[in-house]
Amino acid sequence: MYETIGLWVAAILTLAVFSFLYKENPLYRFAEHVVVGSSLGYTIVITYQRVLYPRLVEPVFLHGESLVLIVPAMLGLLYVTRFFPRIAWLSRYPMAFLLGMGMGMAFPYDMQAYILRQIQATLIPLYTPGAPWYNTVGAVVIVLGTLAGLIYFFFSKPHKGPFFGFGSKVGIWIIMIGFGATFGFTVMGRISLLIGRVQFLLSDWLGLLH
Amino acid sequence: MINWEKFLNIDRRWLYLLIAVVVVVPFFIRMGLPVVPSDEVRSIYNLVDSLGPDNAIFIGWDFDPGTEAENQPMGVAVLRHALDRHVPVFITAVSPLGQGLAEQGAASVFDTRIPGNFVYVPWAEWEPFRAAGYVGRDSLESAWKAAGNSLPEGARGWVFEGVDFALLGYLPYFGLVVLGMGTSIATQYPTDAYGNNLREMPMLRAHKNLREIDLAVTLAGSTACMYWVVYGTSRVGLPVAFGVTAVMATDYYPYIQSGQIVGMMGGLRGAAEYEVLEHEGGHTETTGKAYRGMDVQSLAHILIILFVILGNIAYFAGGFHKKTALKSGR
Repeated sequence: MYETIGLWVAAILTLAVFSFLYKENPLYRFAEHVVVGSSLGYTIVITYQRVLYPRLVEPVFLHGESLVLIVPAMLGLLYVTRFFPRIAWLSRYPMAFLLGMGMGMAFPYDMQAYILRQIQATLIPLYTPGAPWYNTVGAVVIVLGTLAGLIYFFFSKPHKGPFFGFGSKVGIWIIMIGFGATFGFTVMGRISLLIGRVQFLLSDWLGLLH
Repeated sequence: MINWEKFLNIDRRWLYLLIAVVVVVPFFIRMGLPVVPSDEVRSIYNLVDSLGPDNAIFIGWDFDPGTEAENQPMGVAVLRHALDRHVPVFITAVSPLGQGLAEQGAASVFDTRIPGNFVYVPWAEWEPFRAAGYVGRDSLESAWKAAGNSLPEGARGWVFEGVDFALLGYLPYFGLVVLGMGTSIATQYPTDAYGNNLREMPMLRAHKNLREIDLAVTLAGSTACMYWVVYGTSRVGLPVAFGVTAVMATDYYPYIQSGQIVGMMGGLRGAAEYEVLEHEGGHTETTGKAYRGMDVQSLAHILIILFVILGNIAYFAGGFHKKTALKSGR
């Protein structure tokens, strides 16, 4: 029973969102607001159930244990001061705490994952004896492509001459090929999302597909 | 004489209609275009296929409903494969909505009305067996069968909560959670999403932290997948595989080349490739939703290529590349 009601609500909301393709209308607006509202409501409930209750309310207020948790709880509550202009400055403390902690935590690992390992992956031999020819082509494209891309973003010298001029031209081509690949994947992604909804409508809702 | 300007200013709703036709019709007229698994998907499949009951994996349902169409089939395919190999699976979520989607995905694998699915045995249901000391997978299954339980027709096996499967669910600041799990999973998740004590679960006793985990597959529609690489791979050498939306796929190919991730499923195509491998490997009777969408995907791509070619022909044939302005379409 509830499953059927859920299916109908989901199907009607899907059609309401698709109606935007014809033109903007109140039904679309309604669906949009329902998505935002219900997502937020769900988030609040799950966050309370999974985090606030077992990690704060239960130990501190029901069992009287781990009273030290009151300190971060108070710090978190300072966010609410944003709503009161006179004391809104207090909300900067939890923000500063989070920013500082986030930076400290992320910096060494981010450097490792995003920069060092990526640089390391471009420091490869162009030719490896015994490797298939396409590995050599791949290695050349990676090394020269990376260098050309970096030259394009080097703005301290004019992009003229055989090194900076030619290098930046190759760089822009490499970047454009990258954009083209991304665009192709984007089209694929958007069509996939449409396929997902059409599958839902035809199969789960109407039962036309088996 | 063709009016190229009119052609270029065609009401875009006609294009939407054409796309709609191309997306709906192939569901009824199946062509069965081949889906050839790529190396980056095959490497994830091979790794999961090499694991068994002594290993364990994480599946991160790190996406929201907006990318469900692409990410959900990946999660279902990997979960199904792991359960068929009796590989214990921990499920986490970066967002509260991801937890709901994870529950939905798991429910689709445990729906015994559909043949080829698994029978889910909740933690509380096999409590008497636990009390009697049956916590090893084989002994538990034997005792469970001896107690008169039998599999429904078409079901592939039992999934015991706490032995084969644990839904850990959502926690905020997931980077910190992954970092913490490097030392102890139970300190981050004292209980699972249903309030069961994780420390009592046999699968956690055998795999206490991320160093004892063999793979984390993160399904993401955002950069959330990088939490696993930044705080898992970099810190404790956790092998990570990505299941990302097609839009994101090009951003993460460099991470395969650098060896930071094991492999990657990119978009619905990646999920379809995994389904094909699973089916070929005998882990499922049929391929799933993603594979069914591939005919549609191919035809829609052909139509879009046609649109691009026709648009360019009209643009150059009409001489618009020489003019400064072209009336914009609707």
